[in-house]
Amino acid sequence: MRRWGRRDKIAIYALMALVMIFFLGPIFWFILLAFRHPSEAYTLPPQLFFEPYLGNFGDTFVDPGNNAPQLLSSVIVSSGATLLSLPFALAAAYALSRFAVRGKEFIMNWYISLLIAPPIVFVIPYFILMSRIGWAGTYQAMIVTLQTLAIPFSVWLLKSFMDEVPLDLEEAAWVDGAGRFAAFIRIIIPLALPGIIVTSMFTFVFSWNNVIFPLALSKQSTTTLPVGTISFFASTGVYWGHIAATAVVAMLPPMIIFLLLGRYVVRGLTFGAVKG
Amino acid sequence: MSKQGISRRDFLKVGGAASAALAGASPLGSLARVAAQGDTAINVLTVGDPWDLALQSVTDQFTEATGITVNIESLGYTALQARLVNAFLTQSADADVIAVDQMWISQYADNGWIRSLDDFISMDSDANFDDFVPECLYSLSTWRNSVWTLPIASYAQGIMYRTDLFEAAGIDPLPSSVADAGMWTWEDYFGILEQINGVDLDGTSMYGTTVIGAQPVPVVHMYSQLSASYGTRWFTQFPEAPWDFTPTINSDANLAALNDWKRLYELSPPESINYLWFDAGTRFSQGDIGMFYHWTPYFYLVNNEGYLTGTPSPVVDKFETAVLPTLTAGGDQVVSLGGWSLGMPSTSANQEAAWQFIKWATGSEAQKAMGEVNVKGYQFADFSRQSNYDDADLNAIYPFLGTQLEMMKLGDGKVVRPPAPIYTSLEGVYGLQINQAMSGQVSSEQALGTTQTLFENILRGNQMIPYGVDSFDDTLENTKALQASLSGM
Amino acid sequence: MGLAYRYTFQRRLPYLLLAPSVIVLLALISYPLAFALRNSFWFWNLQMGPAPLYYSGLDNYRMVFQVTPFAVALKNTLLLGFLGTFAQFWFGMGIALLLHTHLRGMGLMRAALIMPTTLAPVVAGFLFRYLLEPKGGLLPWLLAGIGFPVPPQGFLGNANTALFSIGLVDTWQWTPFFAIVLYAGLLSINEEIKEAAQVDGATQWRMFWSITLPLLRPIAAFLVMIRFMQLFNSFDLVFVLTSGGPGTASRTLSFNLYREGLVNYNIGTTAAMTWIVVIIVSVIINLYLFFIYRKREW
Repeated sequence: MRRWGRRDKIAIYALMALVMIFFLGPIFWFILLAFRHPSEAYTLPPQLFFEPYLGNFGDTFVDPGNNAPQLLSSVIVSSGATLLSLPFALAAAYALSRFAVRGKEFIMNWYISLLIAPPIVFVIPYFILMSRIGWAGTYQAMIVTLQTLAIPFSVWLLKSFMDEVPLDLEEAAWVDGAGRFAAFIRIIIPLALPGIIVTSMFTFVFSWNNVIFPLALSKQSTTTLPVGTISFFASTGVYWGHIAATAVVAMLPPMIIFLLLGRYVVRGLTFGAVKG
Repeated sequence: MSKQGISRRDFLKVGGAASAALAGASPLGSLARVAAQGDTAINVLTVGDPWDLALQSVTDQFTEATGITVNIESLGYTALQARLVNAFLTQSADADVIAVDQMWISQYADNGWIRSLDDFISMDSDANFDDFVPECLYSLSTWRNSVWTLPIASYAQGIMYRTDLFEAAGIDPLPSSVADAGMWTWEDYFGILEQINGVDLDGTSMYGTTVIGAQPVPVVHMYSQLSASYGTRWFTQFPEAPWDFTPTINSDANLAALNDWKRLYELSPPESINYLWFDAGTRFSQGDIGMFYHWTPYFYLVNNEGYLTGTPSPVVDKFETAVLPTLTAGGDQVVSLGGWSLGMPSTSANQEAAWQFIKWATGSEAQKAMGEVNVKGYQFADFSRQSNYDDADLNAIYPFLGTQLEMMKLGDGKVVRPPAPIYTSLEGVYGLQINQAMSGQVSSEQALGTTQTLFENILRGNQMIPYGVDSFDDTLENTKALQASLSGM
Repeated sequence: MGLAYRYTFQRRLPYLLLAPSVIVLLALISYPLAFALRNSFWFWNLQMGPAPLYYSGLDNYRMVFQVTPFAVALKNTLLLGFLGTFAQFWFGMGIALLLHTHLRGMGLMRAALIMPTTLAPVVAGFLFRYLLEPKGGLLPWLLAGIGFPVPPQGFLGNANTALFSIGLVDTWQWTPFFAIVLYAGLLSINEEIKEAAQVDGATQWRMFWSITLPLLRPIAAFLVMIRFMQLFNSFDLVFVLTSGGPGTASRTLSFNLYREGLVNYNIGTTAAMTWIVVIIVSVIINLYLFFIYRKREW
C-alpha cells in the first residue's frame, strides 16, 4: 500500500471535506428547516443557531396530524410489497442459482429490463384497471403493482447470495437422504438468511421511496408519506415547515436501514451484480 | 364500461337519461325522516383551499342542528380530481358531497356523475336560492339549464396596491367602485407601474408589480383576466347557442394582451415567471410589490406574511383594494369569476342528508360563520350571497366587500376561461405558450399561432369541431330565469 | 419413486420454481402493454366520457406529435440521461479514488456518503427546491456571494438552467452511489498487477487508464446502464422541482405521460405515447447491450 506525504494528505482531506459538505450539507440544512418556525424559513443571512420549534412536527403528526396515518400506510405498503415478493423471488433465485436453466441469461436480463423500464408507462393502465376491479385506492393495489419492481430486484439480489452458499453442503444433505426441498429448507435458507434479510430490507426501502405508484393508485386514507409531502403544495402556499417535518420523518427509515446494512449497500444498490 | 362504438351523441343521451331518471325519483319524501335520525353520517370531499379550513371550523354547528355526522376529507387539487374520476369510473359511492371546480361541471354533468340539484332547490324554500349572486351561479354552478352545484367560495379578481407608495409618489388613490372608474384604463395601470417600478420606499427598492407566471394553470388564471379585459374570446361562439368551438385565440385583441402581459412581466420580479398563486400573494405581503391584481381571496390573505403562519405581514394597513381597469375609458369589462361549489355524486346513498349539508354550507348563516372564523388570521370572505355582502359585521371585518361584489357582478366565468369539456387540455397548451412567450423562447405571434393550431388539433381530435351535440344558449339571462323559476318567483 | 420420474422432476423443477414469478410478472406487465396497444387506436378521453367512444385509427399517434411537446421532451430526456450519467460516473470515480487512499477516517466518510442515495427522489427534490428558492434560498445567496452569475428568475425558473438544475440534483443524489460501488470495484482489483506495473515504471496516470479503468469496465458498464435508464425515466424530480417548466425547458417523456394521462385524462393519446416510449426504450437498451456486451457476458 502506498504511503502518502503530508502535503498529499492535506490535499486529500481538503477535497474530501468539500465532498462531504456538498453531499451532506443540504440534508443537514433541510433537517434544520423542520425545526424552524415557518416565518423563519427564508431568513438570510442563514441562522445556524435558533430556538428550535417543534410545531411543524406537531401540526403534521399530532394535531391535526394528517400525516400520522400516512406513516402507517407507508409501513403497510412497503412491508406488504416485501413479504409478497419473497416467496416468488426465493423460488426463482434458487432455480437460477442451482440449476442449469436454459436461457438463464435471457431470464436474468428480462428481470433487469423490468427494473429499468419507465414505471409511468405501467401506472396509467393500472389506474384504470384498479378502478375497474374495485381496488382503486386500496393497499393491495399498490402492493401488487409494486411487484413489477420488487420481484425482479429480489431475484437478482437473492441469487447473488445463494450463489455463495457452497454446493457441497447441499450435496452432503442429499447424500444424507434429504430431498431437494428438505435440503433447501435445512441448508439454503439458514445459510442464505442474512441475504434474505438484506434483500427484504432493500425491497422495503425501494418500496418506501416509490412515489409514482402511490401517487396514482392511493386515496387519501391509504396514501404514503412521501406522497403526503407533495400535498403541501397547496393553492394557498408552500408550507415549508410541514414539508420538511414530514420529509425528515420519511427519510429516516431508509437512512437507518442503509446504516444497518453497512457492507451490503454496494451489493443491494447493484442488485447483487457487484459484491462489494 | 364495455359499450364501445357508440357515438358521443348517444353517449350524452345515455348520461342525460341516467341523470334525468335519478332526478325523477323524488328525493324529498324522506327529509323529515333524516332530520329525525341521529345516526346519519355523510362523507365530504373538499380541496385544500382557504375556505376549506373555515368550513371545517364551523361544521360542528351543522351536526348539532341536524344530528348528521360529517366526515370531511381535504385533498390537494390533483388528488381530488384523480379521486373523483376514479370514483366515477367505478360508480363507487365513497362521497356524498364533493367540492367541484367550475371547470369540471360540464364533464360531470354530461357524464351523469353528479346529480342535478333543481328538484331539491325548488322543493326546499329554506335554500333562499334567490339570494345567490346570479353571476356566481352562472359561473360556478349551472350547465345546460340545470343547477348542478351550489357555490361555497366565489372568487373574482381585483387590484391590491400600496397606499404608502402611492402617497410617496404623489399618485391619486385608485377607484374602489366601478362608479368612480369611468376613466380608469389599463393604459393608466401600466403608466402607474412604470412610475413606481424601481422607486425606493423606506430603503426597499420596489417592483412595479408581480405576475403569476408558472405554467400551465397558474399563468392562465392571471393572464386570462387581462386577455378577457382586452376583448379576447376563446371560441367563435360560446356560451351562446349555437356553439362553435373554432378557436379565436389568435386574435388582434389577444396579441395586444400578450404583448402587454410581457410588459407586465418586465415590471415584475424576474423569478415571478415561476410563481404559483400564493407566491405572488406572499411576495406582495413581503412588501416590495407596488400593485398587482389577483383573485379576491388575496384581499385578506395578504394580511399574513404567509398562509397560516399567523404572522401579520408588513403591508397590513398599507394597502387598499381597487376595481380592475378597462381597455378603453368607460368601455366594457369582463372579470374572471372562479371558485368552488358543492355537488352531489349520483351514487350517493345519503342524498337527503347530503342536500341538507350543501344547503347549510352554502347558506347565509354558515357562510357568515365561516367569515368570522379567526384562526391565525381571518380566513374567508369569498361569499356568493347578496345577504353576506350586505352584512354589517362582515363588512367591518372585510372592508373591501363592496369592491369585491362589484367585480363579481362584472364576472363571467364562462367567457374568461370557458368550461368546455376538454378545458384542461386547452389550458395545458395555452399556459405553456404564454409562459414560453414570457421567457422569450418564442415571440407573442408564434405563441398565439401555435396555441391556435394546437387548440384546433385538440378540439378536432375530441370531436368538438364540428360540434355534433345539442348546444344550449348558456347566457346569464337564462341562469337568472332559472334562478327565478326555481325560487318560485 | 422411480428413477425416471425423479430425473424428469429434477429436470423440470427449476422451471416450476421460475414459473410463479415469471407468470406474475408477465401478467402484471402484459396488461398495461396490451391495454395501451388496444386503446392507442381508440378515442378515449375521460373528460369526454367514461369509456372508449370509437375506433380512431392512428389519430392518437398523430396527436402525440401534434399536440404534446414530444420532440423537446425526447431531447431533454436524452440530454438528462447522457449528461447526468457522464457527470455522475466521473465525479463518482474521483471520490472513489479519494476513498481508495485508505487514509484514516475514509471508512466513516464512505458510510456517511451514501445518505443522499437513500432519500426518496421527491424528498431530494423538495430539499433542493428549498435550497434553490430564488428569494431566500441558501444556494443562490451563497453563489451570488462568491460572484457566481445567478439567473434573476432563479435556477429553476430560467430556461437555460432548469434542466441542468434537475440534472444537478440527480447528480447530487446518485454520485455517492457511483463512488461507493466503484470504490468496491477498486478494492477487488488485484494489487499485484498494479505493483508489477509500478516496477515497470508506469506513472499513476497511465496505470489508471490502462489497468484500473479496463478492469472496472464490467462494473462500470452495468452502473451506467442502470443509471442512464433511471435518468431516462425521471419523473419525481421534474414533478417537484419544475413541473417541466419554464415553458417546455425541462419537460421529459415521463412528465408528458403523466400530464396527458393523469391530468388531462386523455387515455387514448397516453396509450399511443406509451408505445412510442416503450419502443424508444427497447431500442436504446438493445443498442447498448449490443455494443457493450457483444464481446463478453456477465
